[in-house]
Amino acid sequence: MTAADPVTTATPAGSIYDLGYRHYEGKRNGRVYAMWSLFVESFRGVWGFGRPMTAKAAPFILLALYAFAAFIQLAFSSIIFQSISQPGANTEGLFTYANYFSRLGILVLFFCVAQAPEVVCRDQRYQVLPLYFTRAMGRIEYALARLAALVLALFLVLLLPVVALFVGDVLMKPDTFQAIGSEWPQALPSLPGDALVALGMASLSLAISSFSPRRAYSAIGIVAYVLLMEAIPAAIDSVGVTAGWTWSDKLFAFSPITSLEGALSWFFGRSLDPESFTGTLTSGDFVVAAIAGAAVATAVLCFRYRRMSA
Amino acid sequence: MALIETASLSKYYGSVKALDGLDLQVEPGIIGLVGANGAGKSTLLKILLGLLTPTSGRASVLGMDSVTDTRAIRQVVGYMPEHDCLPPDVGATEFVTHMARISGLPRTAARERTAEVLRHVGLYEERYRQIGGYSTGMKQRVKLAQALVHDPKLLLLDEPTNGLDPTGRDEMLDLIKRTGTDFGITVVVASHLLGEIEQVCTYLLAIDAGRLLQAAPISTFTQRTPVLAVEVEEGADRLAAALTARGARAQQNGARVLIALDNEVLYDSVRDVVADLALPLVRIQQERGRLEDLFRDAAPTGAIQ
Repeated sequence: MTAADPVTTATPAGSIYDLGYRHYEGKRNGRVYAMWSLFVESFRGVWGFGRPMTAKAAPFILLALYAFAAFIQLAFSSIIFQSISQPGANTEGLFTYANYFSRLGILVLFFCVAQAPEVVCRDQRYQVLPLYFTRAMGRIEYALARLAALVLALFLVLLLPVVALFVGDVLMKPDTFQAIGSEWPQALPSLPGDALVALGMASLSLAISSFSPRRAYSAIGIVAYVLLMEAIPAAIDSVGVTAGWTWSDKLFAFSPITSLEGALSWFFGRSLDPESFTGTLTSGDFVVAAIAGAAVATAVLCFRYRRMSA
Repeated sequence: MALIETASLSKYYGSVKALDGLDLQVEPGIIGLVGANGAGKSTLLKILLGLLTPTSGRASVLGMDSVTDTRAIRQVVGYMPEHDCLPPDVGATEFVTHMARISGLPRTAARERTAEVLRHVGLYEERYRQIGGYSTGMKQRVKLAQALVHDPKLLLLDEPTNGLDPTGRDEMLDLIKRTGTDFGITVVVASHLLGEIEQVCTYLLAIDAGRLLQAAPISTFTQRTPVLAVEVEEGADRLAAALTARGARAQQNGARVLIALDNEVLYDSVRDVVADLALPLVRIQQERGRLEDLFRDAAPTGAIQ
């Protein structure tokens, strides 16, 4: 209401524009639409759209950091092409579709730490959940819509450097069209691989985040879980190697990042790097472990929302 | 068919009985649900919404069972919780539109309904600002708007005037009244403030310790009683004595004398006695029943304001 408006200031609020209350006779969509709406809102929320500028900083900075190396390689692609076309050139230091995540994946973890609490903690902190659960929205539908939004966001994060590497590799070649044709098959495993990584990291971080309304505790929880689950199997296995245990190296299947890296190399048809991993598990085993991990985390997330009082 | 119906509805939290064999039949209107804090008001609302499962007994809304038809009930019910429930970093328009879409309204309809409902609750230019910067009164309006946006048939309001100043309270009560009368939506207002219930409601449900205390149209509580109150600045004791001497059933109560209205002649006696004793008369009025009396008899806990 502005002071310049004599009509509204003269009468009590709400009565002047009153055309009478009109009932809504139109279409009412069902639960799939409600889930879609929540998915869209969550996805926008991950990137801070519809929120203040400060909410956009973290996701976009982390995205830029993760893709940075790939864009640098893209920028220098012509120089790189000249140097690696020399006979006996060492190409090991270059980023490839297969090694990008294992080198810089920690930044994707940071993205989860920053944005997973953003997706689920707000509704608990500000007690918005009762408004959802008193609408025709089931608790599991709520959890799955939120999860799907973070999976898609992470998938796009993981895909951006792949696109940059692809463009860089294609530009290096003299015949662009032929290069695209020959480059495709190499980049293609990134799609299912990154989808699995996105699902694994999103479900894990959301499951942990959903247990606290406080962003800080959620973030600490994610970092602590990942660090411990990487370190403990390694510690047990180092004892196991000396003691001759045959089962201890299997524990790496419980390490989230190791599993996802292992699964990713399966999609690229590579064996596991013997320098970083010395167990008997194959990359195929890690695919199973990653899928199982994502399934358990999703189940925990759904269970958490089922039990939550509103 | 009753709008809300419960049959021996009970809800126990461990050994605490929040609701204890509640039988209700609610007809359309503006219904006041009163009770002290912890009387079971919020528990009842949550059972009706399907947020809680009753320990025993059953409840139905518009003929639909609260346990088995939860989804169908929620399509036609709007709920305004007691506590804060708004994220601070979005605008009211964006938030209410989102809630409309969760209720199943298509995108365009959601926008239109949001604009309309926010206008109804009296939010204008400020609706694009972030909710975090709103006053308590504005937040309450947004909470009401999100409950109304999908055009429910039944509106459940849990302590809608919580934390409002007197002006804000009156505006909110007026809004509730208009919602009930002009919009034709049945409203259940849970409150521990009897004065508010008296102002807006047509029907009263009083619950205490999970049991139904009273269920009747509000007028039965507030209609005139056969008691005449005479207020004087001084000499109430002499007035009472003189009236008793004339055969009236009079009783002193502070500066007031309460007289049983047995016949019309009594008015004349009062006038004569006051004149004879030369008392400074303040007012003579017929006593109205007050809701407080209801609780004073039933629950002398003093928890009701």
